[in-house]
Amino acid sequence: MTATSAFFERLAVACQDPRFSKVCGSVRFDIGGGDHLEQWLLIIDHGHMRVTRSPDPATTVIRVSAQVADAMARGEVNGLAAITRGEIMVDGDLGLALRIGRLFPRTPDPPAPNGSETGRS
Amino acid sequence: MAGDFADIFEIKFDIGDKAGSHYTEVRPHELCLGYRRDTYRREVVVSASEPVEVDPHGLRFAVRIRPGEQWSTRLQAALRALRPDGVDLRSALRVQRPDDSTLPASVQAWVAAAPTLDTESVALQQVYNRSLVDLAALRFAPLSLGGATVPAAGLPWFMTLFGRDSLLTCLQTLPVTPSLTPPTLRILGSLQGARTDDVLEEDPGRILHELRYGESAAFEEQPHSPYYGTVDASPLFVVLLDEYERWSGDTALVMELEQEARAALAWIDQYADLTSTGYIWYERRNRPTGLDNQCWKDSWDSISYADGRLPGFPRATCETQGYAYDAKLRGARLARTVWDDPDFADRLEREAAALYDRFNRDFWLEDRGYYALALDHDGTPVDSLSSNIGHLLWSGIVPPDRAARVVEHLMGPALFSGWGVRTFAEGQRRYNPLGYHNGTVWPFDNSFIAWGLRRYGFYGEAARIAEGILSAATYFQGRLPEAFGGFDRETTRYPVRYPTAGSPQAWSSGACMLLIRTMLGINPHEDHLVVAPALPSTFGRVALLDIPGRWGKADAFARYRTDQSEEQLAANSGKSEQNSFLEGVIIETGFVGEPLTRQGSSSAHLGQS
Repeated sequence: MTATSAFFERLAVACQDPRFSKVCGSVRFDIGGGDHLEQWLLIIDHGHMRVTRSPDPATTVIRVSAQVADAMARGEVNGLAAITRGEIMVDGDLGLALRIGRLFPRTPDPPAPNGSETGRS
Repeated sequence: MAGDFADIFEIKFDIGDKAGSHYTEVRPHELCLGYRRDTYRREVVVSASEPVEVDPHGLRFAVRIRPGEQWSTRLQAALRALRPDGVDLRSALRVQRPDDSTLPASVQAWVAAAPTLDTESVALQQVYNRSLVDLAALRFAPLSLGGATVPAAGLPWFMTLFGRDSLLTCLQTLPVTPSLTPPTLRILGSLQGARTDDVLEEDPGRILHELRYGESAAFEEQPHSPYYGTVDASPLFVVLLDEYERWSGDTALVMELEQEARAALAWIDQYADLTSTGYIWYERRNRPTGLDNQCWKDSWDSISYADGRLPGFPRATCETQGYAYDAKLRGARLARTVWDDPDFADRLEREAAALYDRFNRDFWLEDRGYYALALDHDGTPVDSLSSNIGHLLWSGIVPPDRAARVVEHLMGPALFSGWGVRTFAEGQRRYNPLGYHNGTVWPFDNSFIAWGLRRYGFYGEAARIAEGILSAATYFQGRLPEAFGGFDRETTRYPVRYPTAGSPQAWSSGACMLLIRTMLGINPHEDHLVVAPALPSTFGRVALLDIPGRWGKADAFARYRTDQSEEQLAANSGKSEQNSFLEGVIIETGFVGEPLTRQGSSSAHLGQS
């Protein structure tokens, strides 16, 4: 089983998340492409989640490569940065996509030292 | 014609080498300048309104002009942020954004929707009009907000969402442009920290500092996707939510954001108290690119002892504790009146009362008569004199019997330049009239100090600051910059420019609105708008008409009177059911430990009640 499948299987078992108690919507993940397209549909209704493998339409569609999806499932991807650099493509409600992003773990690498500071002056 | 596609941080840090590659495409009527790095692609497409020949180096026009004739063309440069499939990242927003040709009408509608300022002061009228238009110009549509706009912090350095700047700008502009507030609270709520991340300095409940879509953020060379390294945005989120409800009566938004507000309050105690001493502290976890100082004065040398030494880490700055105190009290009000959770309200009030006592014990420097700028890591007070003590008045954490001593410092020659309160007092080792946070005057800083002075009844002092800052604006064609020099007004006679100040800067435009609010003494009280004006002599007559709020629309009138220290002229004729307030005004609604203070039209210090 890939990291991606394992992630969605876990989500299907969890079936709810209190952080989404005011969220309603549907998000489909289109992973890979061509003959290897893997589609997961996530429907959220006030915190209740239903996760299925399905090509059904969704209000928000997130397209990623299989490699990026696995990296996301392993917690290695900053979603907003990946969207900005074109690795994750979102059609529909980006705000919902970012909220859903919180379901993914996050275990980032330590920052690479390059010496510069982000001061305001 | 060429484009370097420099990221704002490459300009700031003077980094010359780009990791990606540039390309140029000649098209029939336009020149496309592009930049590509892996899946990241940005383009500028240049076209013209007149016939043009395009080559890789630019556009050429063949023009023959006879004597007396004129020729002109309109060049258009369109930016595209392209995904690998050729779709613009912002296409969802573009659908909702009006065509560029509608922009003048949209700005006119924005100005028309705001209250009308009626005054004989040309200077005040100029700064009000300029600020309104600049607030319109700084509206920024984040990608994830479906087209709703929030205030971006400022041009050219901060043309993006900053937690602190956007929240404080909304607080300043509630009487004038309240429509900025709900989208600001919503976007900050939706991007609220949910996990622990040492690069982004994210914690559950933490409100973000800075959000960027540029190359350095996209490739995580800078941590702005988003960066959470601020300790004041979380309490200020709750402060704004409460203040907005007081003005608007919009309890639906308070319900909608209950979870986020509770998480922001929980962050204060669970994640910010790094030494378990009951304060908000900061110490960066992102060593290479995080911020040393995570308060509003966020340059590396802004927090120092009077003798110039830099304290260790973690640090706890004074104004942040004031914000936390205010946030707890305001959170308690929301819990009691909207969330129906009196136990939580009681708990927050107990915590606020304990913080008040603790803060006044640990930060107060009795021999100096002011509050320490910060606590060092071991609890030693950082003893320099700074503008931060003015924010404490705004937050209400200063006991009334200490206020006069604090005010004496704020209005004394070491801090007050004649134009406004300096960020850092003359006589401190690191004082520099052109030091970014070490001696310049910031209009936004002064507007909150003036609001604080009003809160404690120092009407004349608040009016003096309003006069100084608003008069300075005339030297900038009505556009208050981010900061200007701390030189003495009597010496230079004009405000000296800070070389790289942002302008327009949202919270400087907002400063004008808050200073007008302060001069007019307008405050929501239940379903009324209270008006208790105190004008400086410079502005003879000021009226603000059609102030929106839970009362519908109301007007505030004020005129300067030579005897106004004894007698305030205050009247309020409204389109709602407003009474005249000549018989008595309420200057602040009550907080815990401070019963509602009523006073007659003769001025008395709130602190003495």
